Amino acid sequence: MLIEMGMSSLDELFSDIPEDIRRDTPLPLRGPQSEEEIWADAQRLLGANVSLDDRPSFLAAGLARNFVPTMVGMLATRGEFLTSYTPYQPEVSQGMLQAMWEFQTMVSELVDLPVANVSMYDASTAAAEAITCAVRVHRRKSSQNNIVYVSMFVPPQRLEVIRNYTQGSGLEIRILEHLEDGHIDMDSAAEAAGCCAVYVEQPSAFGILDPGLMNLKEIIGEETALIVGVDVVSLGIVAPPGNWGADIVVGEGQPFGIGPTAGGPIYGIFACGERYTRQMPGRIVGLTSDVDGKRAFTLTLSTREQHIRRHRATSNICSNETLIALMGAMHMALLGPRGIERLALRVASATEATKRAVTAIDDIELINPQACNFREFAVKLPGEASDALAYLDAKGVLGGFDLGVWWDGMSNCLLIGADERTSESDIETLVAGLSSWLEGADS
Amino acid sequence: MSDLFAFKGAEGAGWSQPLPSLGVDESWSTVPESLRRSSPPGWPRASEPELVRHYTWLSRRNFGIDTGFYPLGSCTMKHNPRLNERIVQLPGIDRIHPLQPEHQIQGLLAIFFEMQEMLAICSGMDEVTLQPVAGAQGEFTAMRCIQEYHRSIGQGHRDKVIVPDSAHGTNPASAAMCGYDIIEIPSAADGRIDLAALNEAVGDDTAAMMITNPSTLGVFEPDISRAAEMVHTAGGQMYYDGANFNAILGKTDPGRMGFDAVHYNLHKTFSQPHGGGGPGSGPIGVKSHLATFLPSPIANRRERVEDDPTGVGDGYWYVWKEVGESSIGKVQQWHGNSGAVVRAWAFYRRYGRELERMSEHAVLNANYLRHRIMNPDSDTAARMHAMPLDGAPAEVVKHEFTLSMSALKDAVGVTGRDVAKRLLDYGVMAPTLYFPMIVPECLMIEPTETESKEVMDRFAADFHTILSEDPEIVTTAPHSTDVRRVDEVWAARNLVLRHPGPE
Repeated sequence: MLIEMGMSSLDELFSDIPEDIRRDTPLPLRGPQSEEEIWADAQRLLGANVSLDDRPSFLAAGLARNFVPTMVGMLATRGEFLTSYTPYQPEVSQGMLQAMWEFQTMVSELVDLPVANVSMYDASTAAAEAITCAVRVHRRKSSQNNIVYVSMFVPPQRLEVIRNYTQGSGLEIRILEHLEDGHIDMDSAAEAAGCCAVYVEQPSAFGILDPGLMNLKEIIGEETALIVGVDVVSLGIVAPPGNWGADIVVGEGQPFGIGPTAGGPIYGIFACGERYTRQMPGRIVGLTSDVDGKRAFTLTLSTREQHIRRHRATSNICSNETLIALMGAMHMALLGPRGIERLALRVASATEATKRAVTAIDDIELINPQACNFREFAVKLPGEASDALAYLDAKGVLGGFDLGVWWDGMSNCLLIGADERTSESDIETLVAGLSSWLEGADS
Repeated sequence: MSDLFAFKGAEGAGWSQPLPSLGVDESWSTVPESLRRSSPPGWPRASEPELVRHYTWLSRRNFGIDTGFYPLGSCTMKHNPRLNERIVQLPGIDRIHPLQPEHQIQGLLAIFFEMQEMLAICSGMDEVTLQPVAGAQGEFTAMRCIQEYHRSIGQGHRDKVIVPDSAHGTNPASAAMCGYDIIEIPSAADGRIDLAALNEAVGDDTAAMMITNPSTLGVFEPDISRAAEMVHTAGGQMYYDGANFNAILGKTDPGRMGFDAVHYNLHKTFSQPHGGGGPGSGPIGVKSHLATFLPSPIANRRERVEDDPTGVGDGYWYVWKEVGESSIGKVQQWHGNSGAVVRAWAFYRRYGRELERMSEHAVLNANYLRHRIMNPDSDTAARMHAMPLDGAPAEVVKHEFTLSMSALKDAVGVTGRDVAKRLLDYGVMAPTLYFPMIVPECLMIEPTETESKEVMDRFAADFHTILSEDPEIVTTAPHSTDVRRVDEVWAARNLVLRHPGPE
């Protein structure tokens, strides 16, 4: 090839790099490996990790220890899906485009809002970009025009993401208070009336389902966007936010389609009312036809996007999580309307069973005894949660999450998560572990 | 035609869920009546065999690297080794929660640490975070670090970011999301940085310049050090868009060029499959003065001491390191796209210190393909309506190159888009179209290092054929695809964004 180009060495191809910035020594890295050697190293290294499936686990904190149907991984990794780029050429990308249009439909059905995009990076960036989207729509007419209210119990990492994404547009984030019982403080909500957007989660970070949220839209008014973060599985039994006034719904899509994967790749869902469509972030697929009148799909509303609108784009998002959304679509389609209900019931019943068993232990109190929980609940221990977790860990149990990591003053609070895979014996092991930890703590 | 919502089988209960064992009725009664869902979502009622056929049918209507040559410029569509997909199925990554204690994820931390080190070495940076999950998010993260850095040294008034007019759209979009104003500077006539324009643009309000090198024209910027000096003298920072990193790895690095921050696209340079639009992974590297602003946590290690458990057996104990008070905070809730990092790690291990070979072959392939396209034999040349024009005059290009179809358009009315669409009939993916915007009727071609000479010879021959074909055939292409040209205007006007549902 070099000869054909009239060149004598590969170096000539790099002659355009000025000498003073050329690297003249080899990269100080390890030697190359064969496929076989890499596989062995991968098995050794990743085998040193403790998988959630190795032991009873009550760690959720926003992700789900789910079961993903076998079909999902097998079909999503078909090379035609796996190795394609963003479908800029619809003529040869109808498969992924249709699959994403179907994904949009299933998300739309799940949350009961008319429009959904093809995915965000995760629940946090979906929440953050929902806020900036809502502000673009409401800024002019709102009476508190640079202000957004966010529930005080949004996990702090998610709040950090929200702050990073919103600081550039000069927004002020105010905190929406919760009452002692874990529910939203309606007086605090009344203060939010007329701001650009209110972001709440249903269930909350403590797994609390708050019936009061269903009146929130009425309180904050038409010119304030109600943004609701959801546990997607809960919507199998819980009223979808689109039903009770939510303007934008976001959430972690991960329970549908992929394991927790150490936090990524996962995907955020983003759905909204038609009023927000043209201000949405992310890719959107629309139906159309080709020159012969044949049904076809294409990316649409690209004029919102960075490759066209550049610094005036609604978002900088380009690569998203399409493949994981595809896996989510397959999982949702396999569940079907009754399957999602049953899955949600299984999670709810595991939550309730775990909650009852744990709170039957003397000295362990529910933080919000009256609340209805989905997937998670928080308990107060007579000692440090980190201490209890270390004790349980030594017994081979992942006991939950130390809420002191998230919030000052909660270091004796434990967030316990249950899911469809929680078994009677898991619960017994947890209860036995906590009981013997308490005995030790007493003595 | 296969329609997901046409499946109306038995209501079922989700393909194979076990029967509830923990007292479902009771839990149902704990959800207050007012909170309950009244009707199920209108999801399909399909069986596993129906869905397997549906998604297999869809996959056959989709073009990937596995289907054929994918010379999509700027996207680095190289082969995705299958080993990497097998590795991420291991429970030690798939079934890991990011909040598990350190001693349960020593292997993951070791891989993170190795990747941080490798990326820092390859780019000439001091510290790396793997948290950003896409190139655009990497840009955003780095610009936030620069913003906080300036605020920390009393330079918070710097509110302008300079980008060349040939930059990727994400550059200005990411900077604007941080709150910056954008100054777009024109490129010089040869497509390179216009130092005079840059000199005009820099000043006391300059926060940073964002640029990729080689440029989006596939040409190395020889004046990059000079540009960096001008921006630094004005008090600004230099940001390197790593989209084109595949061209220079081991040959030079952004650190040597004078950059302060860089993002890497693990889904380009390190072969994380792009999956129809994502996932990606966009780690960033920074010089030490920006390191205290990175998102937390970063993988770190210390020598193993006697009380430590075995770990991964390399003599180290791995930990998460918090960046500290000045950190900008998280950009993704967890540790980024760990699965993509693991795939990229497996890709890197294949090359090790010979990553340089990867760039050499990528650049060799691009130059060879350009040579073949621009030098048809005399018979072929005589048949062509017009020759493509070089997007940028350059002796050598790097990993990609641009062609302008404007002579063809002038001669017979065939546009760049027409040529791109016609290529689909020849069983290859179209190159990147109409980008960068500074090249009229632009096609941007990037063969990557994993294509053979035969594939490129075939592509060049097909390209020449298209330029010789009856213009009528080309302007109405494609003809052999699942659908022909689609009505994008109708789609945008009517916005049918979901299935009407089962009846």
